[in-house]
Amino acid sequence: MTLTKPGYGDAMIDNAAQSVTAQTVEDALNEDLAHGDNFVMTVTPILRHLVSSNEHSVFGDEIIARVRGMLAHIASQLLDAVVLAEGETERAVHPDTDIHALAAQFADDEQLLSHLHAIAMEWQLTERLSARLSVDPVLSPLMQALIAAPEAGTAGLAMALMASQARFTQSQRRMELPLGELPGDILHSVLQALDASASPERAEHVRAASHSIRSVHDEARSRIGLMARLISGLGAGATAALGISHAGAALFLSALALASGQDRETVVLSTNEGQVARLSLALRASGLRLVAIAEQVAALHPDIAMPDDFDDISPDRAAAMLASSAVLPRR
Amino acid sequence: MTPEGKALATAEVDANGILLSAGEPLAGLQRRSGGELPGEIAVPALRDLVAKARRFGIKLARLMTASDGEDVIKAWVEVVPTDEPGNGATIKVLTWETSPLPAEDVAEVDRRKADIDRSLAELNAELDAAQAVLTVESTAEDLTDLARSMRTGVGRSWTDFVKIEGDSHQQPLHWRLLDGARLKIAGSDRGWRVRLHPRGGNSGAPQGFELLLIADSPATVTERIVRPARQMPSNAQGLVGRDVAPVLRQPIARIIANAETIRTRLAGPLADEYSQYAADIAAAGQHLLALVDDLADLEIVESDQFNTAPDRIDLADVSRRAAGILAVKASERGITIDAPRDGETMPAIAEFRRVLQILLNLVGNAIRYSPDNSQIWIRLEGEGARARVIVADQGPGISAEQQTKVFTKFERLGRSDAAGSGLGLYISRRLARAMGGDLTVESAPGQGARFTLDVPADLLASAPRTAQDPD
Repeated sequence: MTLTKPGYGDAMIDNAAQSVTAQTVEDALNEDLAHGDNFVMTVTPILRHLVSSNEHSVFGDEIIARVRGMLAHIASQLLDAVVLAEGETERAVHPDTDIHALAAQFADDEQLLSHLHAIAMEWQLTERLSARLSVDPVLSPLMQALIAAPEAGTAGLAMALMASQARFTQSQRRMELPLGELPGDILHSVLQALDASASPERAEHVRAASHSIRSVHDEARSRIGLMARLISGLGAGATAALGISHAGAALFLSALALASGQDRETVVLSTNEGQVARLSLALRASGLRLVAIAEQVAALHPDIAMPDDFDDISPDRAAAMLASSAVLPRR
Repeated sequence: MTPEGKALATAEVDANGILLSAGEPLAGLQRRSGGELPGEIAVPALRDLVAKARRFGIKLARLMTASDGEDVIKAWVEVVPTDEPGNGATIKVLTWETSPLPAEDVAEVDRRKADIDRSLAELNAELDAAQAVLTVESTAEDLTDLARSMRTGVGRSWTDFVKIEGDSHQQPLHWRLLDGARLKIAGSDRGWRVRLHPRGGNSGAPQGFELLLIADSPATVTERIVRPARQMPSNAQGLVGRDVAPVLRQPIARIIANAETIRTRLAGPLADEYSQYAADIAAAGQHLLALVDDLADLEIVESDQFNTAPDRIDLADVSRRAAGILAVKASERGITIDAPRDGETMPAIAEFRRVLQILLNLVGNAIRYSPDNSQIWIRLEGEGARARVIVADQGPGISAEQQTKVFTKFERLGRSDAAGSGLGLYISRRLARAMGGDLTVESAPGQGARFTLDVPADLLASAPRTAQDPD
């Protein structure tokens, strides 16, 4: 609720202030009402999805828990930074109420939510591939080949990526996500929310914390940054990363995003059961032929059959179809 | 192992988002995208990325996709904003890959071309199926006549109103032959191109046309109107300095020159009274000219963006120059200016031009208010971190009450003679303060006046000099 208590029953307020207060109350109520309407409208589609879907649903309990966990971890890292800026040297344990209050602020950020959702789904996919096809979460066959690459640049990047992917699996098992892993845009909006939530007496420290987080952030060293860089450096060889059991989930998703010109988040969503059309089109747009596409779809969804006249659609046409679909790239 | 890698190219962006320098292949892409170097970033993906990194204050590293019209370029680009938000950024290009541009959807390309034509067209007209004019809209000044005659000639073929280059056929031709044709238009110096977009679906004969006339070059008239508005934000000068002063200077200078001609009887014999009137006109003109300059200065020093460019200067040198410039004027009244001797120095941190302006104002005032055959002294004084120039005269002096008002705007201390705008000392003090100094006065009636300009001393220059040079 955005209603504010001060002002009620205050005999000192004059008429002008009273009408202003009345106006703000009305505005606040209208805003809450609109918010509520939006919520009511989404209830049925979500419920339908929850009722009809299986355990690997985009709204599975595990996914929701992971998104919540990562939100709380981001909030607690920000609080750490603020405490540090206040001059504390010991890392404090923040009260749950503080963490949840801050996390609730971020929950309004759609970009952040869809990113975290995609990360959670990626991790679920990584674990599924490991269980079913024995693809190691860190050292996929492609990763091993890249680390052994003759070019020092590629090998160096691959080593850095391996370390980063190992840290990622570790933190995902704890349902955490380090701030350094967030794309710059999302980090920016998270920090803006942090600034906005600061009480006046803390504002200065919050600003200092925000500044220090910004200045050390380096997208190029984040896991997703390293993958994009590594794949873009492979040139035509990047096709090797379009085999999911060869590349592993992480590299496969990054490679497909780059090759098909979609957001990585959108690509992650397209590995879901109901999105085979998008996935197939993305693979086609990346230049894969029917056999290779069918292989990827089979690896992800063993019990789904592919349409067989897929080769008739040219890669350019597939890319155009993706580009004109409703889910537009955000960045 | 670090993932740093060697940069193929680096580039610098300044605080206004202008690409200052760029290595190849980035520089080539910037030019092929229609940009300049230095100039605004012309590669859309790079422009967005740099804007984001600067706004967020966060280093961004991404794969950028761009096109130069022939190839698709995919490049791994890192943008590091400089520390302070709102400042520039450094761009590093780590990978660069080109591939041929994929074939585009023909309908999409046509639609885009039509959009470009529509936004560039300076005359739009609706035509019926026989290419007769229905309505005409035009914004271009050089097409006013054409638009008017087309409007009065509604119902006639549009080709009656223009001259189609290299064509003497009976008009109208089939629209496909006219589409893309070049035109000459009476009243316009520019070359024109025709675009005809058929109306009413792709199948069958068009039910009408959209006629667009597109010029080869933008109209010069609109450009002249636009330019000052575009310069406004970054220009420290205001209305007087930028617009009024340049316009006024020339006619005033003419008035003065002609008045001088009359005064000196260069054009023939003239009665003394008239010669005297001409001298008055010339003097008033000189005053007006000085006033215009003062008002322009006033606007500058009062502008928010005003700042000086401090340099290492020698106050003794500036003083000698000021004395030299005004020596003739002083000697006309038998006044001698006692400037610092050659060899004397007083290193300071200030802007040469501004200090000279202040000293000319102070010495000029001293000459104006000193009795004939008197003396004006320019003295130097260094005290710790400050360097001073003192201009002293033997004039009537300024009372304590007047001293409080002498530096205010338009203050002329009750004088009503033609000389002076009452702005000189006000501007001088503003200038002095902008350089981290001050301008003060000490005086008593009958004792002459001492104006002191105080600026930061150049300690680096003065210290070794006194050690090495016993003079």
